[in-house]
Amino acid sequence: MSEVLTAETWIGMGVAVVMFWGVASWAMIRTFRQEEKKISIVEDQRRIDTYSPNALEDLREWIHSRPDDPDVEVAREQYNECVDVLKSADHRFYDWSDDEVESLERL
Amino acid sequence: MSNESAKTARAEWGTRFGFLMAMIGAMVGVGNIWRFPFVTGENGGGAFILAFLILLFLIMIPGLIAEVALGRYAGKGVIGSIREATGSGTAVGLGLIVIIVNIALMSYYSPVIGWTLYYMLHSFMFTFTGAEFEAGAFLGDLFADPLTMFALHTVVMGLIAAILYLGITKGVERVVVYAVPALVIALAAIAIRALTLPGASEGLAFTFNVEWEFLLMASTWQEALAQALFSTGLGWGIAITVGSYLREYDDVPLGGGVFTAVGEASIGVLAAFAIFPLVFAFGVDPATGAGLTFEALPQVFMEMSAGGLWAIVFFTGFFLAAITSGLVITEVGVTTVAEETRLSRGKAVLAVCGLIWLIGIPSAYSPDILEFGDDTFALWGLPLATIAILIAVGWFMGPEKLRVLSVNQNSGIYVGRWWNVAVKYVVPVVMAAIMVAFAIDFYGADIMIAGMVVIVLVPIVSFAVMKYVEGNREAPTTAEPTGGDD
Repeated sequence: MSEVLTAETWIGMGVAVVMFWGVASWAMIRTFRQEEKKISIVEDQRRIDTYSPNALEDLREWIHSRPDDPDVEVAREQYNECVDVLKSADHRFYDWSDDEVESLERL
Repeated sequence: MSNESAKTARAEWGTRFGFLMAMIGAMVGVGNIWRFPFVTGENGGGAFILAFLILLFLIMIPGLIAEVALGRYAGKGVIGSIREATGSGTAVGLGLIVIIVNIALMSYYSPVIGWTLYYMLHSFMFTFTGAEFEAGAFLGDLFADPLTMFALHTVVMGLIAAILYLGITKGVERVVVYAVPALVIALAAIAIRALTLPGASEGLAFTFNVEWEFLLMASTWQEALAQALFSTGLGWGIAITVGSYLREYDDVPLGGGVFTAVGEASIGVLAAFAIFPLVFAFGVDPATGAGLTFEALPQVFMEMSAGGLWAIVFFTGFFLAAITSGLVITEVGVTTVAEETRLSRGKAVLAVCGLIWLIGIPSAYSPDILEFGDDTFALWGLPLATIAILIAVGWFMGPEKLRVLSVNQNSGIYVGRWWNVAVKYVVPVVMAAIMVAFAIDFYGADIMIAGMVVIVLVPIVSFAVMKYVEGNREAPTTAEPTGGDD
């Protein structure tokens, strides 16, 4: 087979396999591992941190910038719930440092 | 986010795997098996793959994330989700546009599933390896037999109704968790066999040879865009509906966006390794297009050793690809009807499946009508429905609100503010450009006129109906318009 295939065809096949099957496999494995970790944390302490540091910061900014939005209370609840879990839980899902958690306050 | 009691009583995917397979099962259809390898080969091989990947990440993944996140945020079907985004009122018609397009598309997809069922049944009877078998005449006989075509359409919709009647976890999920892996295994088995055939490398060279100059051609990008749009299922309402059944701590962007878009395209890549080496090894014309599956491949199986068994493997996989799409496409209407009317789920299943069956009769009767419907709704209906969803998210609700409240909540990857620009501007503009490009390509043709009728009439009817319905709603379950955020 290889005698008909040029180096460029091999590159094309390699890119296709890596970029499609590689990325899809990475995404699937990563999401299953995260699922496993989430289940383990929820089973252990019944609650889990729901936002990463960047995402929680974005949420806080949005709450401050949209005080009149009909969903701002829902957003505040989501924010405070995450802060409460981070401050009280032993295990965290996202990569929060102790200093970052320490600096968080309820809204 | 209102109506919490209804939300908590709602069904959920039993497993993460079930959700992912529902997304993949819905998106992977007939087009992935033959169209992706062929279009890739025709448009510069590796260069096309690069263009396709860029568009996948730039447009399709943000679009899918928006749909899944909206469904999860609202915890409702298409119309309920759009209402959460726009507030009660005429604008909810944006959701009805999606439902109308979805039902129209499914009405002619059901007969196609019927063809795959017919071929699968015949593969089990070893018809394709019989001495008298002639592929063209076999397909011609099927198309010339309206009674059989009608019966197949009826059986398919009956089968879909029976599965959907069982519900999300006991019906849809139970089927897709077996059917999708079975499809992948079937294609992988055929790929292994095909790659060992003399002449198989010609097929690989056709699909994967890199011709960089194609990246500079507008046609390459247009084809890549069309392939990405039609294969990732944007605008069908599927991602909203599937996302609405996500569990509390589930992620949206990694599974609903990246895995779904890249995973379904991976099936196309696998098909390239399975089908085209086979096609070239036996000297079949790859330009046969859709007919490749129903006309050319049966001839190939006839010439292969143990071809009867390989035909069973292929057509079973092909049927599974088609029926899983049909299941989830139909679920979009079922979920919405069950929520928006007083019908129980069982009655909603009967109503939606019955309607699709009724509208699909002309397409089952005549492949020409089917093709006309496909051209009209796939070229203009789908981009229109995609724009409808993204207007609701990008311009009524505001993408930043959805991003902070749903996309990045419990997410497996962080989605930055770039996503807002993609959802609000990039994707709708690209969709509109696609429709303009198709209008230019088909200027003056019947398809173009039919497309214009769809573009004008479907929104008018949808907004008129929803204006009446919303005006007569007894107790709105949502807040008033929430307004944009940027």
